[in-house]
Amino acid sequence: MLLRYLLIGVTLPLLLLVASGCEQQKVAANTPRTLTLALGEENTEGFDPTLGWGSYGNPLFQSTLLKRDADLKIVPDLATAWQLGDGQLTWTIKIRSGVVFSDGSPLTARDVAYTFNAAAKAGGVVDLSGLEQAKAVDDVTVILRLKHPDITFIQHLITLGIVPEKLHGTDYGRKPVGSGPYRLVRWDEGQQMIVEANDRYYGAKPSIKRLVFLFSSEDAALTAAKAGKVDVLGVPSSLAGQDIPGMTLHTVKSVDNRGLMFPVVPDTGLKTPRGLAIGNNVTADPAIRKAVNYAINRQALVEGVLSGHGRPAFGAVDDLPWDNPEIRFRDNDQAKAKAILKEAGWLDTDGDGVVEKNGVKAEFEIIYNTKDSLRQGLALAVADMLKPVGIKAVPRGENWDKIKNELTHASVIVYGFGGHSPLEMYKLYHSNGPEPMYFNAGFYKNSTVDAYLDQALRAPSFEAALPLWKKAQWDGKAGFSTPGDATWAWLVNLDHTYFVNRCLDVGKSQMEPHGHGWPITTNIEQWQWTCQ
Amino acid sequence: MTCSRLFDRRTRTLLVIIGCLLFFFVVFLGAWLYGRQGEVTNLTLRKISPGWGQPFGTDWLGRDMFARTLQGLRLSLGIGLLAATCSAIIALILGLAAATLGKTVDVVITWLADAGMATPHLVLLILISFACGGGAKGIIIAVAASHWPALTRVIRAEVMQLRTSDYVRLSRRLGKKPVWIARHHLLPHVVPQFLVGLLLLFPHAILHAAGLTFLGFGMSPHIPEIGTLLSESMRYLSSGMWWLAVAPGLTLVVSVMAFDLLGNNVRALLDPKTMRE
Repeated sequence: MLLRYLLIGVTLPLLLLVASGCEQQKVAANTPRTLTLALGEENTEGFDPTLGWGSYGNPLFQSTLLKRDADLKIVPDLATAWQLGDGQLTWTIKIRSGVVFSDGSPLTARDVAYTFNAAAKAGGVVDLSGLEQAKAVDDVTVILRLKHPDITFIQHLITLGIVPEKLHGTDYGRKPVGSGPYRLVRWDEGQQMIVEANDRYYGAKPSIKRLVFLFSSEDAALTAAKAGKVDVLGVPSSLAGQDIPGMTLHTVKSVDNRGLMFPVVPDTGLKTPRGLAIGNNVTADPAIRKAVNYAINRQALVEGVLSGHGRPAFGAVDDLPWDNPEIRFRDNDQAKAKAILKEAGWLDTDGDGVVEKNGVKAEFEIIYNTKDSLRQGLALAVADMLKPVGIKAVPRGENWDKIKNELTHASVIVYGFGGHSPLEMYKLYHSNGPEPMYFNAGFYKNSTVDAYLDQALRAPSFEAALPLWKKAQWDGKAGFSTPGDATWAWLVNLDHTYFVNRCLDVGKSQMEPHGHGWPITTNIEQWQWTCQ
Repeated sequence: MTCSRLFDRRTRTLLVIIGCLLFFFVVFLGAWLYGRQGEVTNLTLRKISPGWGQPFGTDWLGRDMFARTLQGLRLSLGIGLLAATCSAIIALILGLAAATLGKTVDVVITWLADAGMATPHLVLLILISFACGGGAKGIIIAVAASHWPALTRVIRAEVMQLRTSDYVRLSRRLGKKPVWIARHHLLPHVVPQFLVGLLLLFPHAILHAAGLTFLGFGMSPHIPEIGTLLSESMRYLSSGMWWLAVAPGLTLVVSVMAFDLLGNNVRALLDPKTMRE
């Protein structure tokens, strides 16, 4: 009996010791080496840059000729020298020698030329219609010949990831091979993607060797983060005000804006070739558009709808080098809004609180995407802000399909833009549009603005184009911004909000573009663990 | 002494009817008094937990949840009532037609009812509401078009029994048309079943209407409907805003239970035979 107790007495503590030892070992094995990111949806079309992958952020698997640093300055990546010549029609680019793709095959100028020609031919999200031909002169020199001068073409050198000519085909998007800092190991569509550092990357080697991207719903990702299973979590600003143990809030400024797009032509029964109605008799009057702009309290929208995670927006390109600061104005000015309406003949003659002119009431719908709570919030709050000045705005939720295929040219719509290139501004306001349906959906046309935009496009250098971009917004007499034609009522620029593991240093994030893609990963090769 | 002994069934039913009517009245009056208050944003009073000023708290845009819940309940009850009535009328017409218009019609209607009962409700609801373009119209059509089979079968069975009674047979011999017989002899007899069926359909219709809007197949997400309120609250539960779900959820449960109780009581009173079965 005594022996039995003795045995139990000895073996039990021993077992406990072993068990605790195992536990300690397990903890050691669990030290955060793999980085888990939940940044929202995956790119269901795959990772083919010629079809648009990376155009809003970082291609991750491929590298680009040039890139932007944290201050948005253009710095070399694959390219070592680049020059625009021949009357702004030819880009001559020298690339690094000795660069190899992740499968070991060399990256030459032929791959670069192939990528540009393939993207132009694909005619997808990447709009390379201005490219006449890309041609490799030797292994390290490529010449890109344009159809007409276009200073914004440099954006393609920054965003288009180079693909290997030999491996590129219809299946490439699922099995990308590139020369970027990481390579794709496994992609379980709709669930997760596993990525490992590319040992053959020519740049500074990333310190984090293995990444897992989770593609789960917002709620599931949040729950996983609270359980400590996620290291970088992208959240909408409305959910940023909470505490997640072990994580800190990382807020990144962005040019990801939201605004009201106005149809600027009256409804005369005209339709687009696709049969979509054009125009709106209320918003066709610049006085209405200006009054809306002056009446809105943008700071209240930032505080109330974005929970403080953003800043007021006065234009499409706020704080970018081509932004004209003169277009700023004092908003939340109901007296001015009322005065503008009165001067233009909008009066409340029947005392119902809504002004009218020639029998037309100042009434319109604000359409928002039903799946986007932020746009819903903006539409509702703006509608309430317009009531006191006598404009009746009625919010209405619709799905994207209906917005795109029925409403886009005849309704006031909460849209969002924000890119790192002035080309977006050109497309939004040049009368060449609307094409495709989002750009210049309101059928805006002003020959002075068109002239400035065209001159900017043909400018001899990026710097020389800047004053022209600014003049298109407002030159003191005309422009598309609020002092001029007030074609949009820009509302807010979002801050992108992320929860980041306390032990992770994500460096300095650059001002991020519109939310598609994973812009936070732009500097991922600089990220590092700061504790074990 | 238990409640059932204190009041007889008739008094109890009467009390439940009065209670439900009062509930209806309070909800509709409250929603009418508040007007569209529940849709007005107040960015300075956001995310406030329930208290004296806002008994049900406010949401992320500062909208008063009490007004929203009242408005939502009124919408849900209205939609439920309309959809249940339409559905019950469809059931009545089809039930009568199946039993009186001959074998072929009977076979077709019975087959349709079986097919309707065999199809998962929610799938049918989503399909119909989507095809009808969503909104209140879509929900009402979807609920009305998917809830008639059970009641149709009840009414058909009742009419089948009645058909063999002497006075109906006599009428037929006297040369009365089937429609005349249906109107004058059969319809008055199935009114109790119809009423009970309608009352029992009502809570179902409310729940399914709320379910549809919860899944996002109903109206614009800013219009307060109980399903929309609940689905919106899901986003904020994790950040501790429990009141967004509790108040609308509880009121939905209470109203569904109340009208279910009403239906069962009326059924027991009007149709004690089947109730005992």
